[in-house]
Amino acid sequence: MSAVAAAQHADAHEAHGAETWPEDVHLGTASLGKIGMWIFLLSDALSFAGLLLAYGILRGGAAVWRHPGEPPLGINFTAGLTFLLICSSVTMVLAHAAAVEGKRKETVRYLLLTITGGLLFLCGQYQEYFGIWSHGLTKEGLVFGQSAYASTFYLITSFHGCHVFTGVCYLSVMAVRTALGKYDGGKHDHIEILGLFWHFVDLIWIIVFTLVYLIPVTAPAVGPV
Amino acid sequence: MAHVDRKEYWKIFVVLGVLTILEVVVAQIPGLAKGLVVSALVLLALVKAACVALFYMHLKYETRIMRLGIALPLAMPPIYAMVLVAEAAWRLL
Repeated sequence: MSAVAAAQHADAHEAHGAETWPEDVHLGTASLGKIGMWIFLLSDALSFAGLLLAYGILRGGAAVWRHPGEPPLGINFTAGLTFLLICSSVTMVLAHAAAVEGKRKETVRYLLLTITGGLLFLCGQYQEYFGIWSHGLTKEGLVFGQSAYASTFYLITSFHGCHVFTGVCYLSVMAVRTALGKYDGGKHDHIEILGLFWHFVDLIWIIVFTLVYLIPVTAPAVGPV
Repeated sequence: MAHVDRKEYWKIFVVLGVLTILEVVVAQIPGLAKGLVVSALVLLALVKAACVALFYMHLKYETRIMRLGIALPLAMPPIYAMVLVAEAAWRLL
């Protein structure tokens, strides 16, 4: 798009509010913002893929994965956290739906619910690591740097936790801006892009939950081998 | 145009919830062969991830080029993982 056309496009924004994009043969009506977010998410997915591949190679090559004295990971508690993220994904799509329908208050309400989900997830992760109402894994003998089991667990889950934290910050900024009316008049594309990031965090957790928590650890051989 | 279908969102929510329960059950059934459990768990996770990407991230409603442009790079790490597993299995022969 030439500078003049871009300026006219920007003027059209101011005049009508609604954001429309010229239909592209290959990309349809996807906005530049959306395509940019997808490119970022792909690169982020490959960062996770790197961590998960390293985890797979270490675990596949280990004679003993969980050493005696190291606690197992709590599957049921983490399944609850997984369900929490799924719930927050639903509130996120509903926030987008409300934004498309031009309901500002409803959008803010759903965004706040999504933020709550994210914060509860972070609290859950804190409980799992350090303990709030019970001993955390750090006190039960899962120490970073002590074994590949411990280190890969903390590295992968905390990298994901950073994404949840980033998502909560991003959601908070967007909730305030929505409340101020910045996305009124058909500018729901911004909410959809926010949703892409949040759903991606959920999607990654689905994979992490399976690979790190659910795949059963083969019991080490008893007695001297 | 922006795709919104609240009914569909709730349907996917139920599917994701049920599959999560199924995962927890499959992971803790005693006596199943480990290969079977791992394959089932990975398959369930991929179905859940696809549900999120297709319906919540609206990929189902993007153009074919968009979908392929996203799916193909994402397919590379699993392919690499399979090559590594095959290589490890080959060495054990």
